[in-house]
Amino acid sequence: MSVILTLVRKDIANFRRNRAAVVVTFLVPVVLIYIFGWVFGLNQKDTGPTGIRIAVVNASDNPAAAKLVDALKAEKAFNVITTTTNPDKSTRPLTEEDLRPMIEDDRFRYAVVIPADVVSTKTIGLHLKIFSDPRNDIESQTVNGLLQKTIFSNVPQLLGQSLQARAKDFLGGGRFTQFNRGIADTVASAFGGDPAAIQRTIESGSFGLDRLTTPAKPADPSLRRLDSTDPKAAAAPPAAPADDFFSRLIKIDDVQVVGKNVRSPAATRLVGGWAIMFLLFAVSGGATAYFDEANTGVFQRILSAPVSRAQLLWSRFFYGVLLGLIQLLSMFVAGKFMYGIDIFSHLGNLIAISIFAAAACSSFGMLIAALAPNAAAANGLSTLLVMVMSATGGAWFPMSFMPEFMQKIGKFTVVYWSMEGFLQVLWAQRTFVQLLPTLGILLGITLAVMFVAIWRLNKKAIFA
Amino acid sequence: MLSLRSVTKRYGALTALDGVSLDIARGEFFGLLGPNGAGKSTLMSLAAGLRTPDAGALTLDGIVISPADPASRIPMGLVPQSIALFQDLSAEQNLRVFGELYGLHGAELRTRIDESLAAVGLAERRKDPVKNFSGGMQRRLNLITALLHRPKLLLCDEPTVGVDPQSRNAIFDYLEKCNREGLTIIYSTHYMEEATRLCSRIGIIDHGKIHALGTLDELLTRLPFEEEIVFPVSPASDALAAQLRNNGELATLDGRHRFRPRPDFKLSAFYAQAEALGLPPRNFTAARPSLEAVFLHLTGRTLRE
Repeated sequence: MSVILTLVRKDIANFRRNRAAVVVTFLVPVVLIYIFGWVFGLNQKDTGPTGIRIAVVNASDNPAAAKLVDALKAEKAFNVITTTTNPDKSTRPLTEEDLRPMIEDDRFRYAVVIPADVVSTKTIGLHLKIFSDPRNDIESQTVNGLLQKTIFSNVPQLLGQSLQARAKDFLGGGRFTQFNRGIADTVASAFGGDPAAIQRTIESGSFGLDRLTTPAKPADPSLRRLDSTDPKAAAAPPAAPADDFFSRLIKIDDVQVVGKNVRSPAATRLVGGWAIMFLLFAVSGGATAYFDEANTGVFQRILSAPVSRAQLLWSRFFYGVLLGLIQLLSMFVAGKFMYGIDIFSHLGNLIAISIFAAAACSSFGMLIAALAPNAAAANGLSTLLVMVMSATGGAWFPMSFMPEFMQKIGKFTVVYWSMEGFLQVLWAQRTFVQLLPTLGILLGITLAVMFVAIWRLNKKAIFA
Repeated sequence: MLSLRSVTKRYGALTALDGVSLDIARGEFFGLLGPNGAGKSTLMSLAAGLRTPDAGALTLDGIVISPADPASRIPMGLVPQSIALFQDLSAEQNLRVFGELYGLHGAELRTRIDESLAAVGLAERRKDPVKNFSGGMQRRLNLITALLHRPKLLLCDEPTVGVDPQSRNAIFDYLEKCNREGLTIIYSTHYMEEATRLCSRIGIIDHGKIHALGTLDELLTRLPFEEEIVFPVSPASDALAAQLRNNGELATLDGRHRFRPRPDFKLSAFYAQAEALGLPPRNFTAARPSLEAVFLHLTGRTLRE
């Protein structure tokens, strides 16, 4: 037993001396638990997604339609946009014609149109339009659920108006007023109240149908999805009888603006995030190799040749880029053959974004090598950075699930911009020119990180 | 050829080299002898242009050696203390990488690789990964990698650490051959046997300073004695040692007394005292003093401290 205790003590002593192991064991889980806590609302009273940009076009002059817009604005998950800026910097209300190009430009990914004929005199029911770019499956389901909740909570009055309008059209103006007055008198004589007030309530369409709606609830994935490319999910039945009742009365035109021609939407959405996460793990392994070469004297030997330190460091960077590029393209080719992701239609752009993403990741490998004092610390630091950047950058779950300040932090990560780039190529099928801003941001990240890394590495003792 | 002028190098509060001045002539086999931490590796890394001195200057044929000037390093080759090779690559691939860094290509590089591998008996293992080599084979490859571009000056920083005697002799033979062919070599070691065998001139370094400089004979003349008598420690020999203390230097190391008599001390007197204490003559060995004695005399400590 004493032998076992001695060996255990030895392991504890070794562990305590290995700061990287301590960091990986304790700090990484704590940081990730903190991030997940934010995502799943463990430390918040008010949970759920926030700040999802959604455009609303209200072409109806019906007061109930304005009420629906207000309800959408009140929904904390949404950042409702109703106006746009003209070239002369003046603002004007959005129109339906604005939506498609703005969604294609990724100004927002969802839009609700309340058309002028939201309440028809020809049929009983309502008519709405939803435009979307469902590039993130989880986010799209969430938005869909929230939209349905908000609409169903606010449409009863509109439905009542729809019934009134249909009745007026069917009966004619005089008989319609007489009909409503008759109902109002009957209600007043049976239950009391002012017949004129009851008649006004009836004619406003308020029949108490709102009591049929289900209370507010979180997004239900079983609700019909915005992503019309998935017929199985689109055909999924609504969850509650009241929802079912309203869903039959509400005609929603789903217009998928971006990604509707994508052959394998589910895999196409996911492949970028996975690829970039694995790439980060690979290049962070390069940071460990840096220490191996420094410790074995290989750097010493190389630098005793006519090689400058800058050449040595940049060679490691370019090796990382090359390795990353090959790894990314291998993953996309595997995605092509396993899941049918269309890569060959946009091969040039895919290679371009892969080069820039690999460069940004390689620069992070260099930064880890520059900041860590040894290989073990580099391992710990890279694990921490890769996990945190993947989580906050949106590789694991939509960024809208995080608090807004974390969403802002996430936009400084290489994961976010690389995923954006891959989705722009594979999902939105952008042209090279449209891709340039994202490539520019990735290049900017690369240069900034390399600047810090080389500055630190030049100050660092490169060998004992 | 190589000139150091008042070179100082500090690492924080530690002064690794303290105003060292030294000239190495073309064709010399210069030994830098000192214990671990004496400043040998720092001097080698400065000479190799890997670091910048805090004060003073190093020049090779009049050109200042500097990390900022990669060209100043072309005439030199460095054999690091560690096995500075890519373990997963073959011997040939390693040589190719480092040869190309010095601008060698094509047939010339291939020829030099063939010649180098043959010279140290590794031609048949040229395709094997270095990690499959024995320690001695790796050391030999470590050496020829530094010679591939045919430098004028070879810097060997303790190149035989952990090497078996057979491989060590092979390395010595190869270095001596290169030196005979005109290569200037600076060889740092803490093994006095290596410095004694190889070096035409030796610098004794400790605490960042060169304490003595010269050929083996010149260094030995610095000793105030010409003989060294070694005998094992025992109660009887301890008594003898106590009696001898006034007649020369006495040191005790590794279970042995080392008595260095003053020139005027008669050895017959020594043997008479030993006989009187009942110590048999076979216990005593008299020999010419070694570099170890010189080092001890100059620094007050042994090479292994």
